[in-house]
Amino acid sequence: MIKNKTFTRKKIVTVFFASLAVFLILAGRLVYLMIFQSDYYTEQAKELHERERSIKAARGRILDANGIVIADNKTVCTVSVIHNQIKDPDRIVEVLCKELELSEEYVRKRVEKYSSIERIKSNVEKEKGDAIRAYKLEGVKVDEDYKRYYPYGELASKVLGFTGGDNQGIIGLEVKYEEYLKGEEGTILTVTDARGVEIDEAGEERVEPLIGNDLYTSLDVNIQSYATQLAKQVMETKQAERVSIVVLNPQNGEIMAMVDVPEFDLNDPYALPEEMEEEKLSQEKKQELLNQKWRNGCISDTYEPGSTYKIITAAAGLESGVVTTEDQFSCPGYIMVEDRRIRCHKTTGHGAENFVQATMNSCNPVFITVGLRLGVERYYDYFTRFGLLNKTGVDLPGEAGTIMHKMEDMKAVELATVSFGQSFQITPIQLATTVSSIINGGNRVTPHVGVMTADREKTEMKKFSYPVTPNIVSEETSATMRMILEQVVENGTGKNGYVEGARVGGKTATSQTLPRGSGRYIASFIGFAPADNPQVLALAIIHNPKGVYYGGQVAAPVVRQLFENILPYLEKKDYN
Amino acid sequence: MAERRDRTGTGRRIRNQQESFFDYTLLFIVLFLLGFGLVMLYSTSSYDASLQYNGDSAYFLKKQLVSTILGLIAMIVVANIPYHFWERFAMLGYLGSAVLILLIIPFGIEANGAKRWLRIAGLSIQPAEIAKLGMILFLASTICRMGRKIRTGKGFLFVLMIPMPICAMVWQITENLSSAIIIFGIAALMLFVSTPDYKRFILLALAGLAVCALAVFLIVSADSSDSLGVRGTRILAWLDPEAYASGKGFQTLQALYAIGSGGILGKGLGQSMQKLGFLPEAQNDMIFSIICEELGLFGAISILIMFILLIWRFMVIANNAPDLFGALLVVGVMGHIAIQVILNVAVVTNTIPNTGISLPFISYGGSAVMFLLIEIGIVLSVGRGIRLKDL
Repeated sequence: MIKNKTFTRKKIVTVFFASLAVFLILAGRLVYLMIFQSDYYTEQAKELHERERSIKAARGRILDANGIVIADNKTVCTVSVIHNQIKDPDRIVEVLCKELELSEEYVRKRVEKYSSIERIKSNVEKEKGDAIRAYKLEGVKVDEDYKRYYPYGELASKVLGFTGGDNQGIIGLEVKYEEYLKGEEGTILTVTDARGVEIDEAGEERVEPLIGNDLYTSLDVNIQSYATQLAKQVMETKQAERVSIVVLNPQNGEIMAMVDVPEFDLNDPYALPEEMEEEKLSQEKKQELLNQKWRNGCISDTYEPGSTYKIITAAAGLESGVVTTEDQFSCPGYIMVEDRRIRCHKTTGHGAENFVQATMNSCNPVFITVGLRLGVERYYDYFTRFGLLNKTGVDLPGEAGTIMHKMEDMKAVELATVSFGQSFQITPIQLATTVSSIINGGNRVTPHVGVMTADREKTEMKKFSYPVTPNIVSEETSATMRMILEQVVENGTGKNGYVEGARVGGKTATSQTLPRGSGRYIASFIGFAPADNPQVLALAIIHNPKGVYYGGQVAAPVVRQLFENILPYLEKKDYN
Repeated sequence: MAERRDRTGTGRRIRNQQESFFDYTLLFIVLFLLGFGLVMLYSTSSYDASLQYNGDSAYFLKKQLVSTILGLIAMIVVANIPYHFWERFAMLGYLGSAVLILLIIPFGIEANGAKRWLRIAGLSIQPAEIAKLGMILFLASTICRMGRKIRTGKGFLFVLMIPMPICAMVWQITENLSSAIIIFGIAALMLFVSTPDYKRFILLALAGLAVCALAVFLIVSADSSDSLGVRGTRILAWLDPEAYASGKGFQTLQALYAIGSGGILGKGLGQSMQKLGFLPEAQNDMIFSIICEELGLFGAISILIMFILLIWRFMVIANNAPDLFGALLVVGVMGHIAIQVILNVAVVTNTIPNTGISLPFISYGGSAVMFLLIEIGIVLSVGRGIRLKDL
């Protein structure tokens, strides 16, 4: 038997202390990981264990000038499947196909996809959601959220716009004021195991969504409804293609109504006209048709304004002093500009007339003369100063710019045609804004719909401000213009715009659309009241009316009827 | 020796005291670790078990409990047999383990993608575990027989060569590098304590470190990781587990999440999140990270202290063993357990590259616990030979 040697004992002690040293190093490593790195790894682990589901925020409402809600929310459901909790996939596919009216292939693909949570369909009606919930299918989740709802359906559809599947604004005010309206999404955090099964004891953490702010607009549901009704009426009787009406306050640019019929149902914006066979259309074609349907002609389409534009030539002429109200003219029915003979709409001529009478007659040769007296450079200067070269800055998406000759390309003939409103194009909102600015004392206003935004309780409000450019014409010129335009309505071409007991100013226009000779016309009338202190301005444009197509006959009565109704209404509102 | 006994043997009373010495401290530590291990095993494996075995959340616990009971019986039997009884089986242990490893080639059972088990009398047994015990026994006996010859360079190399064939077989046949390293480590430690020399061992250790450093350096500076193979990628994953989060670094990263999220006091027993399918092999090699997650730094350090106490008891028994053979047996067991605990904790904390090593007495594994308990039985048997007066 061999005895244990002393060195052996020493070495065994060495081994023990060596192990102890290594254990201490490992303990140090544990201290490092579990104290100093603890927060980092805890965060990482938490991220791994938590599943996040978002809760849609209720979108802010849109209200009209009277505080009536014109865009609201309603409760809808989002149906999703949680792959790991599914027990009976076939039954789920069957039920979801039936209840949600989806193709089996579509549903099956999502049910069988390996993901923590897969959305099948959002914006499902609440009753449908409740019905699906009643099946008590394991792995099917029905979450409630909000969907945009427009109580007035078609009303002001192209102005308000609508929202998409994620409640994001698509067109109109909904997209322009997205940042205020959308609110902040909330989340539901649940803890799950590696298969994605929720652990009940862990409970759930909720971050509540933040409701979006309300948008207060200058639109007036009453005026908008009435204007829409008139537009529809005239479109039907005149078998017109399209009718646009813009009503605004010329003093500050607040838009009270903006109609562009045919409008569309905001609660079903993707529906195509019935005669279209949807299946036969390509995706691009479909999108094109929808874009056409959603297009707001008042701001996105340009047209040759024709005689309504004479207001601008007159203002420029008066402001520059090249013409006065007493100036005498003689119209032989045409005018020679260089080698071109430009006819007046009255081929026999208006004979002798002063400038006021010429405006009442809408006499082309007189306005050409005024334009030529100004000359290209000065004319262009006024065109620019009146803000016609820029966009109006209206708070709606998709505004089109002005299509105008370049100054260096503009010769006498071009100047002559521009002077009475032809050979260039502007948007209806541009015309309405420029005329507003001329008759309101010379302040170029920015047309707008949004007035302010506030939270639901109105504790925090933000008023929007819009730029105003003062003195584009003098107060004097402005007053003269109001006087002349009132004459146009009382005794001139615009007499169909006359409203009993009110002072209305205005101007008619009948413009032939390009190409000339196609027999297609645009009849329009711009009117304002009261003529001495304008509080409301309305522009009505009827595209391609059948039969009589003169602005004085077709468009002026529309504005007259509108004013007959809304002038007393506005007076009463002011009084209140 | 006989002389001494005569001098002290003046009364029956003292002789009785001598014979009844038993290391209860060691036994208590082992029983504590076993009990604690079963609790943690249930906590860690119940989720996995109820998924795999139709809601039988105690499946792994029950299997482990059976092995533990069998192991305890074996331990008691072995503890009561004088350890010199085993000396005659030394060669058989060495050759037998070699044969058992070879038998894996035709008869091995595959589990978790590795062929490491043999089925003997209804029990699945890992020959690598037998090889560890066999190596301890064979080396202790060989070193004793070599006497002073072991101090020569030739003797040193001879002893160093003994574990090599077994290590190579364990590594190549069962694809279990960690067990091969442990077997070699046990042999090196036993050699270390049986020669008075230090220089050779320091050189050996430095050479080993240099090889490791060179290997790591070559792997890190390699252009593409494709040519590196499994072990190369493991090294890279060790250096930056987050960059290999979906591959080789996955398990390590999950273990780190578990450890880190434990904090100082842990989430509480049974509250681990990482055991819910996130951490692969949670009840096995990675059980220590779940201990960290549930019991925190406090619990983890407590377990390390229990192992230190265990090794301390081994040291006390080895130093007081009646002869060199007994001391070497205890050193072998001490080396086995110390190396395995150190490597396991080091792997789990990403201190060294990931390699599968279980935590003695706590990780799930039937043959491991049975053979560990047999080793404890041998240590207890050596302890019984200690005469109280020597303490």
